[in-house]
Amino acid sequence: MEVSCLLKLEKISKQYDNKVVLDNISLEINKGEIVSLLGQSGSGKTTLLNIILGLIKMDKGRIIFDNEDLTNVKMRDRGFNIVFQDYALFPHLNAYDNIVYGLKNKRGLVTEEELKEYINFLELKPHLNKKISELSGGQKQRVALARTLVMKPKLLLLDEPLSALDGVIKESIKERIKSIAKEFQLTTIIVTHDPEEALTLSDKILIINQGNVSQFGTPHEIIHHPKNEFVKGFILKQLQIKRQNIFHLFGEQYA
Amino acid sequence: MLNVRAEMRVIYGIILMIFFLFLVLPLGILVVRSFEGSQGFDIYNYVNILSNSELMTAFANSIKISSITAAITTILAFLIAYAFHFTNIFKPLKSAIKVGILIPMLLPTITYGFAIMYSFGNQGLITQMLGEPLFNIYGFNGLLLGYVIYTLPSAFLLINNSFSYIDKKFMIVSTLMMDSSMRSFYNTILRPMLGTLGGAFVLSFILSFTDYGIPASLGGTYSVVATQLYQVMLGTIPNFSDGAVIAVFMLLPALFAIILLKYLERFNFHYDKFTPIDIIQNRVRDSVLGFISIGVVVGMFSIFLVMFIAPFLTNFPYNLTFTFQHFVNVFTTSGLSIVYKNSIIVAIFTTVIGIVIAYCSAILNTRTSLKGRGTFDLVSMITNTLPGMVLGLSYLLLFNESSLKGTFIIIIFCNIVHYFTTPYLMAKNSLSKMNPTWETTGGLLGDSWFKTIYRVILPNSASTVTEMFSYYFINSMVTVSGIIFLVSAQTSLVSSEIKELQHFAKFNEIFVLSLLIFCTNIVVKLICDVIQKRQFQKT
Repeated sequence: MEVSCLLKLEKISKQYDNKVVLDNISLEINKGEIVSLLGQSGSGKTTLLNIILGLIKMDKGRIIFDNEDLTNVKMRDRGFNIVFQDYALFPHLNAYDNIVYGLKNKRGLVTEEELKEYINFLELKPHLNKKISELSGGQKQRVALARTLVMKPKLLLLDEPLSALDGVIKESIKERIKSIAKEFQLTTIIVTHDPEEALTLSDKILIINQGNVSQFGTPHEIIHHPKNEFVKGFILKQLQIKRQNIFHLFGEQYA
Repeated sequence: MLNVRAEMRVIYGIILMIFFLFLVLPLGILVVRSFEGSQGFDIYNYVNILSNSELMTAFANSIKISSITAAITTILAFLIAYAFHFTNIFKPLKSAIKVGILIPMLLPTITYGFAIMYSFGNQGLITQMLGEPLFNIYGFNGLLLGYVIYTLPSAFLLINNSFSYIDKKFMIVSTLMMDSSMRSFYNTILRPMLGTLGGAFVLSFILSFTDYGIPASLGGTYSVVATQLYQVMLGTIPNFSDGAVIAVFMLLPALFAIILLKYLERFNFHYDKFTPIDIIQNRVRDSVLGFISIGVVVGMFSIFLVMFIAPFLTNFPYNLTFTFQHFVNVFTTSGLSIVYKNSIIVAIFTTVIGIVIAYCSAILNTRTSLKGRGTFDLVSMITNTLPGMVLGLSYLLLFNESSLKGTFIIIIFCNIVHYFTTPYLMAKNSLSKMNPTWETTGGLLGDSWFKTIYRVILPNSASTVTEMFSYYFINSMVTVSGIIFLVSAQTSLVSSEIKELQHFAKFNEIFVLSLLIFCTNIVVKLICDVIQKRQFQKT
């Protein structure tokens, strides 16, 4: 299979009041990949997401997308889109009107048929006439995804997409995100602080520590070849404790 | 939540008694008196008033000018608050605008009138600078200007506060969804603010509809309800029944406002959280809005400027030599310094007792499961739109034959009830945000209910109490309409004394007294701000 690099970050740096938030970050993402930006709070992962989105200007570095230099292209002209952690759904509009919100500005972007497909795909049909306040967390998440997907973004950004959800819903949204990336060949970047989430959801993970790349690789590489003490201590340790607890619950024979 | 305790019921009972005695009973008497005629009870008084074309004109005038004021004020306050939140105007300039726009709050409305006269009158400061009068200040124009200055600070505070609860992240969403600037403005700014803007309009309307100070000084031949009420009550032949009817008429817009505010509540919506974002660069937007905001503040400032100049000159605008004589006169005439002392006494008692009542009401409402705790919300809704003049008049009717007549006590309680809403809501807001299990925790650690309140709740709302202090104090220093019917020769206050001095055209004394109020309020405000800042840093 031919692998083409779609998004390329080159030596991105950012400072706030003399404090280095991001230091020389470089990264290549292929089409259709899900990549997680994993780090603790204050690591700079959200800043990097906002830089890719175009919301924050970087001090140094370049962003190349599909062989085009987007470094100085404005947020609205980049063609990327984001789903926020708390979804930012308009409270005065119902679920359906939220979904088609952007389509009112871009008529003809999707046909009626396509719109129906998106709605069915996200299983939102029964909820279209509900107020936002009447939706559950998982439903809100799906409405927000639908609102963003119908705009046919070239790159999908998700800010902590699972942290506001609980238990079983979390797992089902995880599968949903995977199937979206596959179905629409949509390159997706996810910000998360949860190693389990990152490693079970993404093709590749960028571990950020204090503004630096700690390791970039597939889940397999990270688990089996942790590059440094931070990856071992922060990422692997957590997963090992979890594994131990679960083994303990079920008994070793399920290992 | 904690089980209801006997001491809660006792406090509840006491506060309820106070509101019964100083709110329900007076208003009840007012309505009764409005139906009382020489031959028992009938609607003759109403028929009489309704057929009085002069009064009906005043009523229509009041509605017209208050509506126009409310529209202008709401738009201006919105623009300035918008400039404050959504532009990259130089930070110190923003602070200056915020401080500047609140200055009128520190002065009695009756002073505005005289400041406008001394600025825009034929011999006024601004008229002199421009060479000719801009417009005739007596009547409609002057009133409108005065009302807008009066209502702008309150409307600004309301809208400005609401703006800080808007989730600015929606602007990113709107941009990514390719909204045009108009659609973006509607969905991310205007729509979330609709309820507040309606509230600001209603508030400005009620304030100007019921203010007495501005028409007292500037009304000219343009008659409004407030001046009519004053004339009927304290004119050459006082007519209590007619006064009661006019007061009831004044209550109508207040009732209407309560309904409207209730309706507007459904437009408010609640964001889950608020994310600050960087404001997008836009020079044109910044300069236009900056210019408007500075223009309004400078305009307001220039009107009040004369107040700081005239009393230092021998006889403005004819003899411009510098003098302290007017100040010396005020302080050596024992009458005027006693009046100042009276004002301070009333303000301090109003503030202290007012805080206790408002704070206790808020505690009972938010942190107990007491039956009937919703009563306080009802009370605060009524006092929110209840005109001070109506309240004062109803006290006059109720207490006229009692030993409370002409005492500080009725003035103090009139102020407390009149200004109850805001301090109550401040306390309620802060108390409801605190962890609901503190009382239980305190109880488990051996505290009594009072002790937990004193050791935990009170220290955690110290900043709010300070804010309540400055609100009650300043308002009780500046109010005219609330107390105009209640002061006697022994209990006269600075703001009512200004009204007296107008009769004798002693404008220099008026300005000296206004400056006294102004300086006192500034000092109190600054001290409260410093204390509040400290409290804030501690937590």
